[in-house]
Amino acid sequence: MVSGQIGGRDARTRAARWDLCLAGLLAPALAVMLLLFGGGLTLGGLQALGYLPGAGMTELTAAHFTRVLQDPDFLTSLGLTLHIALTSTVIAAVVSVALALALTRWSIRSRLVHFVLQVPLTVPHLVVAVSMLFLLAPAGLAARLAAALGLIASPGEFPLLVNDRGSIGILLVYIWKEIPFIALMVLSVLQNAGGELIEVGRTLKAGPWQRFRFILLPVIAPSLAAACLIVFAFTFGAFEVPWLLGRTYPMSLPVRGYKSYADVDLAARPEGIAIGLIIALVVMGAVALAVWLNRLAGSREAIR
Amino acid sequence: MGDLRLEGLALGYGPEAVVRDLTLSVADGEMMSLLGPSGAGKTTILRAVAGFIRPRAGRVLIDGRPVDDLPPERRAVVMVFQKALLFPFLDVAGNIGFGLKMQGLDPGEIRRRVDAIMDLTGLAGLGRRKVHEISGGQQQRAALARALVLQPAVLLLDEPLSSLDANLRQQMREFIQQIQAETRVTTLFVTHDQGEALMMSHRVSLLLGGRLRQTGTPRQLFYRPADPDVARFFGGENFFDGRMENGLLKTAFGDFPAPDTENNGRRPLATIRPEDVRLAPEAGNGSVMGEVTQTRFEGMATRIWIRCDGGLVVALTPESRWTAGQRLAVVFPPDKVRVFPA
Repeated sequence: MVSGQIGGRDARTRAARWDLCLAGLLAPALAVMLLLFGGGLTLGGLQALGYLPGAGMTELTAAHFTRVLQDPDFLTSLGLTLHIALTSTVIAAVVSVALALALTRWSIRSRLVHFVLQVPLTVPHLVVAVSMLFLLAPAGLAARLAAALGLIASPGEFPLLVNDRGSIGILLVYIWKEIPFIALMVLSVLQNAGGELIEVGRTLKAGPWQRFRFILLPVIAPSLAAACLIVFAFTFGAFEVPWLLGRTYPMSLPVRGYKSYADVDLAARPEGIAIGLIIALVVMGAVALAVWLNRLAGSREAIR
Repeated sequence: MGDLRLEGLALGYGPEAVVRDLTLSVADGEMMSLLGPSGAGKTTILRAVAGFIRPRAGRVLIDGRPVDDLPPERRAVVMVFQKALLFPFLDVAGNIGFGLKMQGLDPGEIRRRVDAIMDLTGLAGLGRRKVHEISGGQQQRAALARALVLQPAVLLLDEPLSSLDANLRQQMREFIQQIQAETRVTTLFVTHDQGEALMMSHRVSLLLGGRLRQTGTPRQLFYRPADPDVARFFGGENFFDGRMENGLLKTAFGDFPAPDTENNGRRPLATIRPEDVRLAPEAGNGSVMGEVTQTRFEGMATRIWIRCDGGLVVALTPESRWTAGQRLAVVFPPDKVRVFPA
């Protein structure tokens, strides 16, 4: 009993030392993050609240947030941003699930397929956006090719796919980029448990559609939802693709925020930062939800 | 009604043949164990019966009808896997009622049947629990209940106890036996554990190297093995040969009647189980002398290695008085000696 108590105390001392050691190791990285991210956020928050001494603004006020939220153009931009983020996420999710299922069935072990799937992950969004511009612009490769093949009389007849009303160019970039990300996340869940549970379903007399509806969907749901939320958060807050391929009006929220921030009139800066903070809030909410769903997926893994 | 017949079954993966020319019958209401070491092809056979693998040759018949063209979901068989593989997104009752829901039964009927099978399998009151909130044994029982509730013609059990600890395993053996006796469902039970197979089954089929070596009652396989390999699988260690003369096998350990091998001059192999070897301190009628070379205490018994003129003999005895270097008399009771056909 006594030796047990001593052993327990030793273990606790060792654990405390280890915690201290870990904290020491993490401290430099945490300090940099806190300074850069936390500092930036604090500074941004102050500026969004109207504290901009350089421009003679020293009074803290929520008026900039109110003005942003009451501006009808803000709602139009919010609508466009939600359209881009939701449409690209939903289409990417549907295609990814189909792709992951197909890969599970035919070539789950194929290294080549996995390599091909990983290629889009390595290409920066900006590069894909520029490529899309060269490809789909009215004077781009696709238009010229279509004209050369006689499908259209001249490149000018090519449908408008960049800087267009439906943001098709932006959607194509995001869909191309995000499909592999979601597909790989879903694929890893299917590889771990999908096959065995599908066999259970078959022996329990579930038909193909029932297996998809009652087994696969519930199995992949937490991971799929987490991946979708991450994609949604990214596309909701990303600036460069809508900047390159979007219209001048309406603008997506990140573009609008950047334009206000970069305006020659310093008085517009607090509104730009307020927009940025609203975007950050939505993104952080989505990420928090994604983390929670990922944990849920992890706990489901553990009970098999 | 549910009898299962496998006729000339050949199974394999890619170019490799796993099971060759397997013919086996399981009668309606019978519990048969498919026993064999790892890699013998037991699970492959079960998967072929369930419909997950298509035989290269031969047929699977359930109630006399070939089912080779039917997918698993349309066969009157249900398979329980090594792991419980419960659906993590459903509670215990949801798991058990899953198959009934897939068949489109109305919720009231599903609830009634699920409650009945939960009572039978000792899971009453656990229906609303999440599957990670019940123990490993309860999870396996839920997996069994999920299969039984569908009232299959044939139940396939693929080593469902292998992931349980020794105590729980023993409880589950008795539980499965009891459930099978109550439901009378035709059951093909795969295991590599000879004790499990002998204890639980009406009949046992031993599979070695992809071939069925012997099918019979547990006692037949244990005491009357068809060949030396079967005897070795069940713990046979003493093998000796002799010469046939007028219905007797004459060996260095004595003469033993061998009615099945009447060909004079042949040299068939014979065996005696270690626990059937009799030991005595002094020479007597029909005994041979030997010297103890090694002993090993095994709890209920002690294993003793004895060097005799005819070769090394292994005996298993509850006595603990023998020590290395000691001389003793070894007796092979004739009725315990099994002579294999030459």
